[in-house]
Amino acid sequence: MILFTSMGLLGLLALSIPVGIVLFLLAFGVDSFFSPFPLMRGLGQVVWSSSNNPTLIAVPFFVLIGEILLRSGVAQRTYSALNAWVSWLPGGLIHANIATATMFSATSGSSVATAATVATVATPQAEKLGYDPRLFTGSIAAGGTLGILIPPSINLIVYGFLTESSIPKLFLAGIVPGIMMALLFMLATIVLCVVYPKLGGPKQHSSWREKIIALKSLTPILFLFISVVGSIYMGWATPTEAAAIGVLISLIIALAYQALSKEMLISSLIGTVKITAMIMLVVIGAYVLNFALTAAGVGRALQDLLQGLGLSATATLLVIILTYIVLGFFIETLSLMVATIPIVVPIIAQMGYDTIWFGILMIILVEMALITPPVGLNLYVVNSARKNGNMMDVILGSIPYVLIMLLMVFLLIAFPNLALYLPDNF
Amino acid sequence: MTRIISILKRINNGVAVTAGLALLACITIILVDIVLREFGVAFSGSEEISGYVMAAVTSWGVCFALTAKAHVRIDLLRQKGGDKMRSLYDLIALASLSYVAIYVAYRAWPVLTKTLKSGALSNTALEVPLYIPQSIWFAGWIWFALSSSVLLILSVLLVLQGRHQIVDETIGTGDEQ
Repeated sequence: MILFTSMGLLGLLALSIPVGIVLFLLAFGVDSFFSPFPLMRGLGQVVWSSSNNPTLIAVPFFVLIGEILLRSGVAQRTYSALNAWVSWLPGGLIHANIATATMFSATSGSSVATAATVATVATPQAEKLGYDPRLFTGSIAAGGTLGILIPPSINLIVYGFLTESSIPKLFLAGIVPGIMMALLFMLATIVLCVVYPKLGGPKQHSSWREKIIALKSLTPILFLFISVVGSIYMGWATPTEAAAIGVLISLIIALAYQALSKEMLISSLIGTVKITAMIMLVVIGAYVLNFALTAAGVGRALQDLLQGLGLSATATLLVIILTYIVLGFFIETLSLMVATIPIVVPIIAQMGYDTIWFGILMIILVEMALITPPVGLNLYVVNSARKNGNMMDVILGSIPYVLIMLLMVFLLIAFPNLALYLPDNF
Repeated sequence: MTRIISILKRINNGVAVTAGLALLACITIILVDIVLREFGVAFSGSEEISGYVMAAVTSWGVCFALTAKAHVRIDLLRQKGGDKMRSLYDLIALASLSYVAIYVAYRAWPVLTKTLKSGALSNTALEVPLYIPQSIWFAGWIWFALSSSVLLILSVLLVLQGRHQIVDETIGTGDEQ
C-alpha cells in the first residue's frame, strides 16, 4: 500500500495532474485496492469537516497580510533601514538582502512573494554598485525561504492541521532555528567575502544618526510581528484571532504609507483567494488521502515495511531526508510537504521521533526545494527581477546557502533542543 | 468558444472578489468578538462563523484558481513535449480534475440532504441551521464540477481544431498575474 501510494504519487505528478487532484485520486485508489469496506461513501463528510475549520482560516488571513504589505511599500523602507544597520559587514548589501528577507518574510509567510519583492528593491543597487551578481542574487533567493520557518508560517499551520500538532508549539519551535539560519547565512557571507573579496561589493557605512532614524522604518513591521506572535503566547488570542489582528495592523500600515486604495484592496483580496484555494485543494486532498490510508490500516503496513527493511531509526531518518532533497529538485515547497505528510509523518512517529521537531526539520528540507534547480521557484523569481542575466548566476549563488541549510538539518538532528527548548519550556 | 472561456473567467473573477469580501467580513467579526471579550461580553460565535466562511471560500475559491491556472502542477515532462504533447498533458490534467470535482460534488450531496432532512442546528449558542453554510459550500463544488467540465469540453474542441496556443493560454501551466 505504501509502495502503491508512493509510486502512484510520482507517476501521476509526472503527468502534470494538479497536486491536490493527485492526492484525491490516490485516496480513491487506496480505497478500491486496499480497504475492506468502501471508504469514499464518507468523502463528502470528510471534505466538509476538513474545510469547515476555524483554524485553517488563519491561512488566508496570513496570506492577506502579505498581499497588503507587498503593495504598501514596506519592503523598500525596510531594505534601506536594514541597509544602514548591516551593510558595514564584509559582503555589504548582501547582508541587507538577507536581513530584509528574514524580517519581511517573518510577517508575510510567503517565500516566493518575499523573494520577488526583495529582488525588485535590491537588484538595481547591485548593478549600480558593481556587485558580483551570483552571491547577491543567491542571498535573496535563500533569504526569502526563511519566511516559512519563522512564525507566523502558513506551512506550519498546515503541518499542524494535518498532523494534529499544536500550532503555537510549532511556531515557538521555528523561532530559534529560523534566526540561527539567518545568522548562519550572514556568517557564511562574511567568510566568503573575506576569503574571496570579489564575491561581494563595497561596504557601506552609516552614521549612528542615520541608524537611529532608520529604526523608524522598522517599527511598523516589528510592531506587526510582535502583536501577532505575542498575542498568541500571552494566551490572549488564538492563531486565527492573532492573524485577524495582523490584517488590521497591516491595513493601518498601508494607510499610513498612503498605499491603501480600493483597487489595492481588491487585488490583495483576489490574490489571497487564489493562493488560499491553491493551498486548500492540496490540503483537502492530503486530508482525504490521510483518512483513506489510516482507515485502510497504514499503521500495520508501515510496521511491516519498516521491519522488513530492518533499518535503524537514524538510518530511516537519513533515507527520508535524502528523499526530500531529491524530490525537492522537482517539487515545490507546500506541495512537497503536504503530499508527503500522510506517508512520512506516521513513519517518523512510529520511530519515536517528536512530530513538532520533525515539522521544523521538514520545513528546512522543503525550503531547500525552493532554491534547488531545475524546479526552484525562488531562483526564477529572483532572476526575472533582473533586467538581464543568466539563471546560472542565481543557482551558483544559492549553493553556499543550500549547504548552510544542510548544516542546519544536521544540527537539528544532533541537537533536537534547538527546536524543542522553547515549546517544552513555555 | 473563446467567448465562453472569457465569460467563465469573468464569473470566477466575481467569485474571487466575493470570497475576498467574505474573508474581510469574517475578520471584522473576529475583531469585534475580541473587543467584546475585553469588555466581558461573551459572543463567541466568531469561531463557528469562520469555519463556515473557510468552507465556502475554499469550495468557491478552487473554481477561480482553476480559471486563473493557479493549481500547482509539476510540468517538468510537459515542458519537454511539443505543442500537441503539451495539449495532451493539459487535457489529462483537466480531465482528472473534472472527474474528482464531479465525484466530490456527488458525494457531498448526501451531507446536505441529511442535514435538510433532520433540520440539524449547529451544536452551539448560535444554533445556525446547518443547511445554510452547507448549501453555500455544496454549490461551490457543483460550480467547480460544472465549470471544469465545460472547460474540458471546450479544450477538447480546441485541440481538435489544432488551436494549441489557446489551449495553453486557458488550461496550460504558468500563473496568470
